Amino acid sequence: MGALIESCATVAKRRKGALDLADAAAEACLRRAGRSASDVDLLINAGVYRDSNLGEPALAALIQDDIGANLQQTSRTAHGTFSFDVAGGGAGVITAIRIADGFLADSVDLALVVASDAHPGSSVSPAFPFSRVGGALLLVPGDSGYGFVDFRFDTYPEFESLYSAYVEWVERRPGHGETVLVIDEKPGYAARAVDCAVESIRRFLGRSLGDIDLLVTSELPGPFPDALARRLELPGDRVAHVGEDRAGAHTAGVLAAFESAELGGRVAESRQILFVGVGAGIGVGLAHYVRP
Amino acid sequence: MPNAGSWMLLEGAVPRRTGIPPLPARFESIGAKLPEKRLATADLMASTRHHPHIDLERLTGIHERRICSDGEDSLTLAVGAARDCLSHSRHAAGDIQMLVSASISKYRGGLRHYFEPPLAPVIAEAIGAGNALAFDISNACAGMMTGVLIVRNFIRRGVIERGMVVSGEYISALGTNAAREIRSVLGKQLASLTLGDAGAAVIVERAPAGEPAIAVAGFTTLPAYSRLCIGSPSDAGPGASMVTNARKIHKVAVADSPPLLEEALAASGLDFGQIDHVIPHQTSARAIRIGTREISGALGVAPRHVVSNVAEFGNTASTTHFVALHKYLEEGRFQKGDKVMLISFASGLEVGVVIFELDAMVDRYGRVD
Repeated sequence: MGALIESCATVAKRRKGALDLADAAAEACLRRAGRSASDVDLLINAGVYRDSNLGEPALAALIQDDIGANLQQTSRTAHGTFSFDVAGGGAGVITAIRIADGFLADSVDLALVVASDAHPGSSVSPAFPFSRVGGALLLVPGDSGYGFVDFRFDTYPEFESLYSAYVEWVERRPGHGETVLVIDEKPGYAARAVDCAVESIRRFLGRSLGDIDLLVTSELPGPFPDALARRLELPGDRVAHVGEDRAGAHTAGVLAAFESAELGGRVAESRQILFVGVGAGIGVGLAHYVRP
Repeated sequence: MPNAGSWMLLEGAVPRRTGIPPLPARFESIGAKLPEKRLATADLMASTRHHPHIDLERLTGIHERRICSDGEDSLTLAVGAARDCLSHSRHAAGDIQMLVSASISKYRGGLRHYFEPPLAPVIAEAIGAGNALAFDISNACAGMMTGVLIVRNFIRRGVIERGMVVSGEYISALGTNAAREIRSVLGKQLASLTLGDAGAAVIVERAPAGEPAIAVAGFTTLPAYSRLCIGSPSDAGPGASMVTNARKIHKVAVADSPPLLEEALAASGLDFGQIDHVIPHQTSARAIRIGTREISGALGVAPRHVVSNVAEFGNTASTTHFVALHKYLEEGRFQKGDKVMLISFASGLEVGVVIFELDAMVDRYGRVD
């Protein structure tokens, strides 16, 4: 526990793929902190929809390659970078932060969490609903009592069938077919996502959110931030809002919300921040952050 | 700087940051789920469209592999392996505090690869692990060992006492797709013909003080080699296809891993010659044999024994180490006190190591019921 946020950056580019978006966000995040890619010990990618629906290697390895983070061992005194993917939809970034926090407490100095989604490009993907947004978050070890002080994750399996996304090969004529990506959101998913988030937040913090100055949440299912604020009876300014060009961001949504709040001065005004990630499952990831 | 002194992200006896002794962890139980149906290499090669002249069995040592039948998929293999693991465990499903699903393939309901929802919560629900923090990770064939690194990290810090890593790999369709397209032994999809289906699961728990435990777990990614093995959905048929430069991966793995293996061994206080059983990623008997010889040469000493388990199951992706461990446990081929070193080589290039000492777990396998 106790990892601190050193910097956060997101990018939105209309014609870029998930890898390019993740690369750009990672580089912007490192630049913002005055760090180089080779400083990173651990890189976790929480993005889901990627170029060609790539299965292996982990997209994190390609991101690590592109940003030049310790491509191979060059000396015995330097350190390398370890990378892998986490998959949790809109809640994945919270899980990635939690895992990174665990290694920062033990054996790692600098961790980078990235997330991005984009049309895979090589498959038929009717009505691909997400905006092309990439995000990155740089984390360092902290002192106890500050930083990410607590986490919670709940799954509500009774709502598993409300949202699914899969890729399959569909035969169009004998011996010829194409890969199709289907993203299927059932009616009621958005409302249930809010219900589940409220339930988890109550279990995590009790009835009162009095000490929480700012909620930083997933963007989707839209309009998740405002719907959550309404249900928790919070004024609109207690929830971070992304700008127009980050609307519709999927896995990077939480990061876009944080960056937006940071740029707008809301983070500097806040002592305690609650990160709320929600995704298919229905899964809710919560992280309680205390600014030093 | 905590990570000074090792290239790898290495968690050994002393956490670099606090200096406070971490809580030890051990493997408590291992499970596997192998589909019943077998596909002999000879039959797979007879099914090729272009009849390449490849003696795949001679080349790889793979006699047959298991393949899913209708109704089996990544999810059923994972659930089956998790249940098998629990059947050997002293714990109940409700005791599991973390469940990591680490497979590359996420097929449910046939060859539909699911991006959402994640598999781990579905597996947890199916086995009754309602108290588990359940999430998916993916790291090519290094998935399960990456999961072990993560679960052990949570145990070391006292956050949890036990967690499960599980993986169900339904990857035989890659062989079907390769059989349709491959023309010669130089074909880029050759490695796809070595794949077999399997599920595996392992419970990692806090070890009592003074008892045999996991001495070290470490990993690194060498992305200079990240594009040598690429797997994605096939355009030619259901399932995926995988293009591999197997020769180059073997070459760089052998060239670049010895210093990394040395780091892990040094952190465990052992040298390679003191390892009783090395279990590398199970790809082909020939690659394991040659790789062992080359790595032993670089390290100056050979381990007592290297596990080569591909004849019956082929390359089962992220599950290979634990399918091998499970088999050896069931066949009574381990002794209490044996030092085991798992080495992961996977697309990325991932290089991972887990070194542990076997304990009373060996007594809970191979019994005639």
